[in-house]
Amino acid sequence: MEMVISITDLSYTYHDGTPALKGISLNISRGESVGVIGPNGAGKTTLLLHLNGILTSKNGMVKILGKEASKENLKGIRREVGLVFQDPDDQLFMPTVFDDVAFGPINTGCSEEEVRDRVAQALKWVGMEDREQRSPQHLSIGEKKRIAIATILSMRPEILVIDEPTANLDPRAKWELVKLVKGLPMTKIVASHDLEMVAALCERTIILDEGKIAADDATLNIMSNIDLLERHGLAPASPIIEHQA
Amino acid sequence: MKHHPEIDKYAGLSSPIHNWDPRAKLIAILCLIVAIVLIPDLEIALIGLAIALTLVLISRIPPSFILKHMIWVTMFVAPLFVIISLTPSGGIEHASLIAVKALSAVILIFPMIGTMRFDTTVKALERLKIPSKLVQMIMFTYRYIFVFTREVQRMSTSLTSRGFRKRTNIYTLSITGKLIGMLFVRSLDRSERVFNAMVSRGYDGNLKTLVEFDMRKLDMVKAAGLIAVAVALDVVCLTVV
Repeated sequence: MEMVISITDLSYTYHDGTPALKGISLNISRGESVGVIGPNGAGKTTLLLHLNGILTSKNGMVKILGKEASKENLKGIRREVGLVFQDPDDQLFMPTVFDDVAFGPINTGCSEEEVRDRVAQALKWVGMEDREQRSPQHLSIGEKKRIAIATILSMRPEILVIDEPTANLDPRAKWELVKLVKGLPMTKIVASHDLEMVAALCERTIILDEGKIAADDATLNIMSNIDLLERHGLAPASPIIEHQA
Repeated sequence: MKHHPEIDKYAGLSSPIHNWDPRAKLIAILCLIVAIVLIPDLEIALIGLAIALTLVLISRIPPSFILKHMIWVTMFVAPLFVIISLTPSGGIEHASLIAVKALSAVILIFPMIGTMRFDTTVKALERLKIPSKLVQMIMFTYRYIFVFTREVQRMSTSLTSRGFRKRTNIYTLSITGKLIGMLFVRSLDRSERVFNAMVSRGYDGNLKTLVEFDMRKLDMVKAAGLIAVAVALDVVCLTVV
């Protein structure tokens, strides 16, 4: 299988000296769906920000489709790696849905016809084709999440990276979104601490804790290892809150 | 479905001003505003006010809506009116002149901006080659003002639910100050995240949108007509005085 993402010994420290990632090594091949789970502050978002060069580190190497994520390759890499951020109010910054979904394709130099084509297709993909002229502040959170994904789909990326796709969604909106993401054909990386959702979406799961990879295995194996999940603060139901008989 | 933001409330109506090309509309009405502000004569300023009201009438924006918003302007103009009337170099006539001009200018904002969606206004500004940074600032203000309003509401709800009540004392001031400070910190964090999202999609300092405007002959004619009226207002003053 062709490697689309290859990370070797990546470490990253924030300006204030807090270490966020410590020696991460990771390979992801084409077509995989990988869940990145971990407690709050484990470094999930920091890792994702390295995948399209928003953050770069001198320690370690990130290669996307064989190209190093360095300054000269950034433009190409950002076209290949689509990053969907957690808060759709961050992702949707333009005054209308159309302008937002068109933003990526216009920047990558598509013709006007191509832009319109891609916007229509991306919105159809997420089931929001009639929202083109709406302003983001008039959308429900579920609609915003879908359109946030459409803004990336319109760039036709090879790799789709989603940070907490189901945060703040009610169960119905959540499972509808899971179905939508599951149907997308590209390589997917999903960061979350929602184990249910990761189990439904990804064949492979990585546990990230304190900036290190604590486990990397088939989702089935990880989810059935309650000890492992408990050690990293991810166990589904803690014994502390068991109801008294 | 939540209602439209106030500024877009009557953007969906249909009138000769609504279907005017946004660029032509902005420039023509802006010319009229400048012309009215330059008028030195009360009677001609009243003609300017009449023209402004006529444009409102054509635009079909309900006068009640304009009146509601004029309250704020009036609160600003009224004290000025009183002060200028009482100064020896001013007098009632001078004060009236200033008040009439100010009101006309503000009234004209409604047919100018209230007859199209605000995102259209921003795009028109961009196409008129207003500096991109300024246009982006206006656009982001419009986009995020609602987000920040909600954030302030959440923060003040959380204060109220813990027994905080606004009073006229130092304690209230210090809490309000902290709230504003917190809002700044949060907006800084947000702007960083928004910037990341923008860069991820190829942002290079310019906001690009597709051109949707189509300037027709009629748009030009309307603009030329209104600008002619604007110029005439000032020229008449020169000949009268």
